[in-house]
Amino acid sequence: MTTDCVQPCILLAEDEMMLAMMLEDRLLASGYNVIKAARLSRCLELAESASIDLAILDINLAGDQSFPVAMVLRRRGIPFVFSSGYGDQDLPEAWRNEKVLQKPYDSRQLTEALATLRIA
Amino acid sequence: MIVGIGASAGGLEAFKAFFAHMPVDSGQLAFVLVQHLAPDHTSLLAELVGRNTSMPVIEAAHGMRVEPRHIYVIPPNATLTVENSVLQVSKPAPPREHRWPINTFFTSLAEDQGDCAVCVVLAGTGSDGAQGLRAVKDHGGLALAQSGFDHEAMTGMPANAVATGLVDAVLPVSDMPARLLAYQKQMHAAQRKQGSDGVRGDLAAHLKTICGLLHAEVGHDFSQYKEKTLMRRIQRRMLVVQAETVTDYIEYLDQHPNEHELLFREFLIGVTEFFRDPVAFEALRTIAVPALLADRAGDDVLRVWVPGCATGEEAYSIAILLREAMGSQHGLKVKIFATDIDDQAIGRARAGRYRAPLNGISPERLERWFSKDRDDYCVVKQIREMCIFSPHSVLKDPPFSRMDLVSCRNLLIYLGNDLQQRLVQSFHYALRPGGFLLLGTSERLARNARLFTERDKKQRLYMRRDDADTRPRDLPNMRRHPVEHATQTARQQGENLIDRRARQALEPWSPAYVVINASHDVLRFSGDTGRYLAPSAGAASLNLFHLLDKPLRGAVHAATLQAFADGTRVIREELALLLNGHERSLRLIVEPLAEGDGKIEMCVVAFDELEPAPHSTGPATDGESGGEPGRVRTLEDELRETRAQLHTAVDLHEMASEDLKSANEEYQSVNEELQSANEELETSTEEMQSINEELQTVNVELNSKNEALNRLNSDIRNLLDSTHIATLFLDKDLTIRSYTPAMTELFHLRDGDKGRPITEISPRINYPELKSDVARVLLDMAVTERTLRGDGDAPTFLLRMRPYLTVDNLVDGVVLTFVDITESQRLNNEHARLAAIVNSSRDAIFGFSMDERISSWNASAERIFGLSADQVVGQPLSILLPSESSEETRKFFASHERPKRLAEFEMTWTRPDGESVPLAISYSPVCSQDGTLFAGKLVARDITERVRAARYTEMMLAELNHRVKNTLATVQAIAQQTIANAPNLPAFAESFLSRLLALSHTHNLLAQDAWIGASLAGIVKNELAPYRQDSDSRMNDARMRLQGDEITLPSKQALAISMALHELATNAGKYGSLSVPEGRVAVTWTTHMKDQRLWLLLQWTETGGPTVAPPTRRGFGSRLIGEGVPYELDGEVTLAFSPDGVTCVIDVPLDEVVS
Repeated sequence: MTTDCVQPCILLAEDEMMLAMMLEDRLLASGYNVIKAARLSRCLELAESASIDLAILDINLAGDQSFPVAMVLRRRGIPFVFSSGYGDQDLPEAWRNEKVLQKPYDSRQLTEALATLRIA
Repeated sequence: MIVGIGASAGGLEAFKAFFAHMPVDSGQLAFVLVQHLAPDHTSLLAELVGRNTSMPVIEAAHGMRVEPRHIYVIPPNATLTVENSVLQVSKPAPPREHRWPINTFFTSLAEDQGDCAVCVVLAGTGSDGAQGLRAVKDHGGLALAQSGFDHEAMTGMPANAVATGLVDAVLPVSDMPARLLAYQKQMHAAQRKQGSDGVRGDLAAHLKTICGLLHAEVGHDFSQYKEKTLMRRIQRRMLVVQAETVTDYIEYLDQHPNEHELLFREFLIGVTEFFRDPVAFEALRTIAVPALLADRAGDDVLRVWVPGCATGEEAYSIAILLREAMGSQHGLKVKIFATDIDDQAIGRARAGRYRAPLNGISPERLERWFSKDRDDYCVVKQIREMCIFSPHSVLKDPPFSRMDLVSCRNLLIYLGNDLQQRLVQSFHYALRPGGFLLLGTSERLARNARLFTERDKKQRLYMRRDDADTRPRDLPNMRRHPVEHATQTARQQGENLIDRRARQALEPWSPAYVVINASHDVLRFSGDTGRYLAPSAGAASLNLFHLLDKPLRGAVHAATLQAFADGTRVIREELALLLNGHERSLRLIVEPLAEGDGKIEMCVVAFDELEPAPHSTGPATDGESGGEPGRVRTLEDELRETRAQLHTAVDLHEMASEDLKSANEEYQSVNEELQSANEELETSTEEMQSINEELQTVNVELNSKNEALNRLNSDIRNLLDSTHIATLFLDKDLTIRSYTPAMTELFHLRDGDKGRPITEISPRINYPELKSDVARVLLDMAVTERTLRGDGDAPTFLLRMRPYLTVDNLVDGVVLTFVDITESQRLNNEHARLAAIVNSSRDAIFGFSMDERISSWNASAERIFGLSADQVVGQPLSILLPSESSEETRKFFASHERPKRLAEFEMTWTRPDGESVPLAISYSPVCSQDGTLFAGKLVARDITERVRAARYTEMMLAELNHRVKNTLATVQAIAQQTIANAPNLPAFAESFLSRLLALSHTHNLLAQDAWIGASLAGIVKNELAPYRQDSDSRMNDARMRLQGDEITLPSKQALAISMALHELATNAGKYGSLSVPEGRVAVTWTTHMKDQRLWLLLQWTETGGPTVAPPTRRGFGSRLIGEGVPYELDGEVTLAFSPDGVTCVIDVPLDEVVS
């Protein structure tokens, strides 16, 4: 689902301010519109209502897991990628096939992941 | 002929088989079936038997005549007897314990039918029938008993019948009818030969032969027994052995040596029972016994003789009677000599064992004087000891003597008159003066009435008369002239009046005569014998030759000798006799009086006096004698002279003869005395033998006891020698009685110390209380225990002291046992130590035995498993298997597959209260010294904490990983942001390193408190530290003022705020109030509640610095403070660049909203 915007809009769910700022910079540089959220409640609001094309979801949002957001996104058919600092631990069964970006990741990894999402 | 058939359990089959083999034409046989029937049960016996025979089968009714070829069946609950061939039925039957229907019927059958009675004992339990069978045999009947397949008598009634020894044949039931028919046929044949008295005529002729055979073989002479009885009994044996004629039987006797014995037993059959004829015993009790017991000293012996005692019932009855009369207190001794020629019977009497039922005995007597042994009654010892049984023939052997009572009942009836008389005399001799004689009711004294006084005429109780004398010469063993003097009286009785008168009338005309016996004693004087007699001086005598006129003695002597010798009449004519001065001619006639058998016992000596001879004047008439008168006279003188000489010679001879005779008499009397003494000795010998026999029995018994004691003694010695338990036997005075070898370790004991007081022996142990302990044990009679502890390494002993009890339970000292318990105590201590460890362990320790049951359970096990020891000890080990468990656990608990060595595994146990406990179990097998497994031990450790710690560690590692990665990501972002804002590399390096340092400081603070949080004041001080003027960080610096509560910030807030403060401080140092000495910075903070959350309000205020110009472009710092902090902490930040100085207000929640 693409909007009328020329630039695709991306939902960035990340509670680390430094990381969020850096990603925002990168994404902006890559030609994305970025909507940030550090808390699950805000994320859910945005995921339900905002006009977004893609999403990067940190699994841990200030103590809350971001799977409810992923559920909304899946329902809306918006592609997303998880990011996590928790290593290779297993995701819950429902999300096992989703792509995960292992922190820390560089711009190339980010670009590849986003590219894959967009193709899908 | 009536056949009585008795049966009990199993009898029906026997009855059926019996009649199945019995032909319809059974001759004169009639059958009476007697069975044990339940009193209230209607019997189908008649109907059932009726199916097997065509003879009429009738249930017996009272008054029914017994007809041949009929079968009569006893009705239920009735007593059946027979009288004059008519059945007698009386109802109801006696109570069970007195109900012996077969005995009752057999007895009545015997009395009614005599030798025509037949009794058959068929299958059945018990002994009913045996007693009745005895009666049948006593009356000469036939007795049969049923055999099994093995031709032995069946157990139960048949075996008991056979045990009487009187059964004629033991046969299978199918052979019985044939045997009965043969018997019947023979009986008929025998009866045809019998006279009116029921005895076959041809027997009498052979009786002597048979008695002779028996005398030779068995040693008992029955020739003097009643002939009729003997003949009947021989006849009975003939029927049994199926001998046609008497000669056949004698031949049979020759060929079967055993038959002598059987015939002998047949002769001896006697019926006896306890207290037979109670009236007679009553007479004995009321008349004789009080007299016998009167005036008795305590040590006197009352002597009773029971000849012909058979199996001893009579003797025991008298013993019981006497014992009852004496009472238990009477010290008088009673000896009852019970004798019989039947040694088998004596053997049974000695045993004193009688098969129930015992007739005639009251239940009280049975209870008191008998002990029950299975089916038998045994005479109690007290009664048994009163009786002495010995084989003895009352006829053949000398009698006993000095008896107080002789009871000889129903023996005389078997004997002939002569024997009876002799026996009565024997009894008279045997009794002491005033002694009593008891005979059977049908026996009498007859010709010996003068010897006894009647005391109870009807019951034949007599008392000995002392005036009559039964000389030992008449005793049985002097049987050459058994009844000599008795004939005299018999003859007298035969005289009658007419004879006497006729004899008186003829007296003057008949010659005077005397009747003499073989010993020349005058039995009769008749006529004027006085003319020829001239009694000689000296003792009065009836001897003819003492009485006779001397001139006659020679001639008469010669004549009588000849007459006795030849048995012919001797006549001496013309014996010259000088009577009253006249010469008379006498004819002497000696006429022998022959007995029936030709023996000469007596002679008549008649003196026939001829008319006086005409006085011859021979010389005057004789012419030629004139020249010779002188010579004649001379010759006559000479003759006279010679005669006178002859007379003198004869006189001398007579005198010598008389002397010899008197000497002979003397010798004879001496002989008699000796004989009597001899007999007494023999009697004593008999008694001695009886006593000897008893003594021998006692001796054997004592010997066997002695042997047993010896064996016990040696056992005890071996026990004492081999035991390692030190044992000491002391008597009441502390004298050593005995000790075991181990005792020497405790006391300095030597071999000779037995008998010395223990107090004299020096002990190796410390035991000063010995004396008082012994005294206490003797006083209290209780076992005392004491532990004797040795000093140092000396062993410890457990002393157990108990009273020494003799066999009679009397205390006779004390027994001390010393058990070395050193090792056991050591083990006990060790055990206590281990138990303490187990009990105090925080781990559950429990054991199980080889039968898979839990054997121990410590306190921690109760706590960890939540089960008390009571709930689990003794339960199977498998109760500890959790419901969800691993294969290994299941193997261990349920299938008992256990490793041989130590093993460990884990499981989760759910307590009864539902709480789960993770447990680490370690198992160790418990083995004995030889390696045999005998138990298992388990230790279960509660590993809840360990599991939790492991989980925590795992979590911590993951967290650490996460944080490091996040931190690195943050560093990456800082680097990137710094790069983006740095004009050159040195500037980048400075900014970047100081930012990293600030981050690291905050990390330090967080790490100090295990990452839970960091003090806000600390963070502020850290960030401002480079700008302080004095080094003491505790004090507020002149340039900066910090004010706020002590707040601990969570790590997230701490990191974000510290980074913000770093940027503020750096900015202040470079461009703001901290860049000039006069500049001041105030940092204040406080908390407040908003939306039910705790918020932090921190204010940064700069004053006194250079005038602030708002930044031309948004740098990293202001972006981080203005955008990053509110973003990350979900709060608000106001950053103002007023000209007086930079201010910053940070208002953020301190905790997260939990979603």
